[in-house]
Amino acid sequence: MHTSSETKSDRVIEVNDLAKEYRVYDKPEGLWASVRGLFHRKNRIIHALRGVDLSVGRGEFLAMLGPNGAGKTTFLKLLSGIITPTRGTARVLGHVPWDRADDFRRRFALVMGQKNQLWWDLPAAESFRLHQEIYRIDPIRFAKIRDELVDMLGVSHLLGQPVRELSLGERMKLELIAALLHEPEVLFLDEPTIGLDVVAQHTIHEFLRHIQKQRSVTVVLTTHYMKDVAALCERVVVVTHGSILYDGSLEQIVDRFTTHKVVTLDLENPPAAGEMERFGFSCEVHGPRVSLRIDRSRIADVLPKLLASQPVRDVSVEDVPLEEIVAGLFRGAAKRQAGTDPDQEVGAV
Amino acid sequence: MRRYIKIFSTFARACLVRDMTFRVNFLLECLTSLGWMSMNLAFYLLIFSFTPEIGRGSGWSREPFFAFVATGLIINAIVQTLFMPSASELTEMVRTGGLDSVLVRPLDAQFLLSMHRFDFSSMANGLVGLGLLIWAVLRFPVAPPLIAWLLYPLLIVCGVAILYGLIIMLAAATILMGRNQSLYDFWFYITNFSRYPAEIYAGPWGDPLRTVCTFVIPILLVVNVPAGTLARPLSGEAWGMVVLTFAAAGISIGLSRIVFQAALARYRSASS
Repeated sequence: MHTSSETKSDRVIEVNDLAKEYRVYDKPEGLWASVRGLFHRKNRIIHALRGVDLSVGRGEFLAMLGPNGAGKTTFLKLLSGIITPTRGTARVLGHVPWDRADDFRRRFALVMGQKNQLWWDLPAAESFRLHQEIYRIDPIRFAKIRDELVDMLGVSHLLGQPVRELSLGERMKLELIAALLHEPEVLFLDEPTIGLDVVAQHTIHEFLRHIQKQRSVTVVLTTHYMKDVAALCERVVVVTHGSILYDGSLEQIVDRFTTHKVVTLDLENPPAAGEMERFGFSCEVHGPRVSLRIDRSRIADVLPKLLASQPVRDVSVEDVPLEEIVAGLFRGAAKRQAGTDPDQEVGAV
Repeated sequence: MRRYIKIFSTFARACLVRDMTFRVNFLLECLTSLGWMSMNLAFYLLIFSFTPEIGRGSGWSREPFFAFVATGLIINAIVQTLFMPSASELTEMVRTGGLDSVLVRPLDAQFLLSMHRFDFSSMANGLVGLGLLIWAVLRFPVAPPLIAWLLYPLLIVCGVAILYGLIIMLAAATILMGRNQSLYDFWFYITNFSRYPAEIYAGPWGDPLRTVCTFVIPILLVVNVPAGTLARPLSGEAWGMVVLTFAAAGISIGLSRIVFQAALARYRSASS
């Protein structure tokens, strides 16, 4: 679990035993079953969150990772006050989110990558103007912030174009500007880079990093892209089946969940069959390129021997890719879940 | 309050800009609306070619009845322009989770949900209604007294408030059920009752229906009372109906507020 030395006043988000359950209609297949369902319904409980505890300090950039249905979006919806929990407590900026106090709602923003918050038929400039009224932003301050954000993302030429005519990447940039106009202290980002090309992802990474540093915004990001996490976040929370599996730094996740490193060699000549296996496990040979997995504790011993055994053009020693570590974590959690709770289907809504 | 008026006008301005963007669609909507209304008026003219009055001794002869129709047009135009487009959109917003972005805004959710989209083409009917009202009143055998003219706009507001309350309660049902595509149909069926004089609901089936539509779902007060205030003398019973209409408007707004807040507390959102 994450341990930090921040004082209580520095904690922007405090969550204790937060749980959310949904009762859903278990719809059987077929017409006759549907007719019977009109009179007799079988419901089941979905545990979207199972008693989560979490504390986030001011200015932290936290990533929530988890497979589909892990409960990440449900968690953000609870912290934004969109839905109410089944049990547990949460305080964001000192407020209970689901009380939906205006003072609280003025101090945070939520951006959902899969949902449009700008007016579809109108240019973004009109949505921004509406935003100014809703959030009571001083006109001079509004113009200053808007121009600054628009310049940073280079979208001044898009402001007069109806939102429906914009590409996904362009729309997401404008969504981010709309979310930041009222200078929120907390920013919830739900998969903001989903479906974006590499260039747009990079631009948004740069933008978010700059904004977070400049304004000390507390950011909670949910994503499936490890590039987002590696580029932006120091702290990672892994969620599976509605529970927190890991909460700590990005470095620690590598240290804690892997026992080996990946050594890649570019040899002068392809090695003889079976020659490299003695140095490590999971040996992959593609012509003169060899990729080996070597126990971290043995790296210092093995590497000199490895380099002495063959003429080597290039060598690299890297951690196991983050995607692989996280996928392993997800698989392990899924197996454990299937073993302990086989009858109850779990997922987020 | 000033902020809400400002936001309301910003929404209205934005919708007008949008409507002007699709100007052919806007003109077609105006024309369709006017066409439908003209057919209705022709139908009533046809009825009055057979009978001098609707309901014997009811007071709804041709000109007073057209004042009734005009009042209905004005009230419906206000509702259709201001509230119905937002309410119709709510079903989709609940189904797709679009309601999420409304709930995070520092503004009253009921205000934002019921007044964020307007249909200015529906105003065409209201303007024709106003013209029809002037035409009809000028042909009244006795001009309405000053008190009737003072009460009329207030009762129009009450009629709109009763319908608004009903729309909000139907919208709340959408939030609770997750899907309620019959909202518009139900609205059409229920408001159909308000389009005719209360006097036609008589007899073994009509009387109970009139009681329900006056005291339970006060839909018969919406047009009947403002139109009656203008077209007929203000008797003791008429004053009773005026008081009832003011009370029904207040209760309708209050009740809709309670039901809507309760529904929002149970909102489940949609999968992302």
